[in-house]
Amino acid sequence: MRKIFFILSILFTVLGIFTTILPLGSIAFLPIGLAIVFGLLTLLKSDINQTMIPKIALIICGVCSLYVFGKILFIKDEVVHDTNFEQTKIETKKEAKKDLENLEGL
Amino acid sequence: MKHFVLSFSFLFAVLFTSATYSQIKSDEKLVYASSYNMSGLMTQLAQVTLSTETVKTSKTSYLHLSCEAATYSKWDSFFKIRDLYESYVNRLSLKPSLYKRSIDEGGFRKTEKYIIKGNLVTSTSKRKNKPETTKTFSIGASTQDVVSLLYKLRTLDFNKMTIGQTKSYVIVFDEVQIPVTIKYMGKEKVNAGNLGEKECFKLSIAAKTDALKGKDKNIIWLTADAKKIPALIKFSIPVGVGQLALASATGI
Repeated sequence: MRKIFFILSILFTVLGIFTTILPLGSIAFLPIGLAIVFGLLTLLKSDINQTMIPKIALIICGVCSLYVFGKILFIKDEVVHDTNFEQTKIETKKEAKKDLENLEGL
Repeated sequence: MKHFVLSFSFLFAVLFTSATYSQIKSDEKLVYASSYNMSGLMTQLAQVTLSTETVKTSKTSYLHLSCEAATYSKWDSFFKIRDLYESYVNRLSLKPSLYKRSIDEGGFRKTEKYIIKGNLVTSTSKRKNKPETTKTFSIGASTQDVVSLLYKLRTLDFNKMTIGQTKSYVIVFDEVQIPVTIKYMGKEKVNAGNLGEKECFKLSIAAKTDALKGKDKNIIWLTADAKKIPALIKFSIPVGVGQLALASATGI
């Protein structure tokens, strides 16, 4: 049983790290939460000399949840000013005006 | 007297038509937060902006309908989207003369231009690293593009429609004409961003295309007032479900 809990805790910790890096917001709490649950279960089933890896996984999960929580609190959903996109919009409008003038002349 | 009657009839026709389409104003700006369902949770992905402005040429003026989508900065490093859909339409009938599409999605680039003269369309398409292709094809007299259709819906009088009643349209997309059916589903209260909670007309959109999935899964809520602002749009596509929620409406 310990082996299953151990594998699941490592699997969800890895998944938690990925979802923390990706801008998925609160979704990251799902694998992190499961990793913590399986990590704690692994610790309960472990002998005293088997606790190091589950403890490291739990610390990683703690850091990940703090990071995700910080991102949710401090990073706003905003679109950056994109000079290339703005330029595309200006050019496409100029071109459109020319096309409309040509269309009227047909 | 004959001139007076003719002038009066013309004036009446113009005024009546203007009144019919008066809800589509120039300089209107609607900003939406686009979310996508991931593992059962909605994740904010991009900002979608619908805007209108008047464009004048030497002979006439058009209403420029623009729809742009841009991913939030947090997504830009992973999957950057900068899409621009534009339609230049007749101010009264909302019939398009020019439709443009510029897609930039995670490195995939495509531009399309449809010049519409009567029933004839000259389309130009260009994909990244591929030669430009030009095609001429004919469309029906009432065929719209996808952007102008969204605005056309806002000119409908839903108070005269019964629940379940449908209206049919045809749009041209990817050089193909696609039949679209709009079903009126009654009224519902929906959060409309800075406009607060609003009573809305609920419409189901069905199109004969693989791009949209499910029955009554693609829904649009238009505020049940004269402006008929799209307050919420829910869509179901082959890779999941998402929504566009109105964040702010200005110039309405």
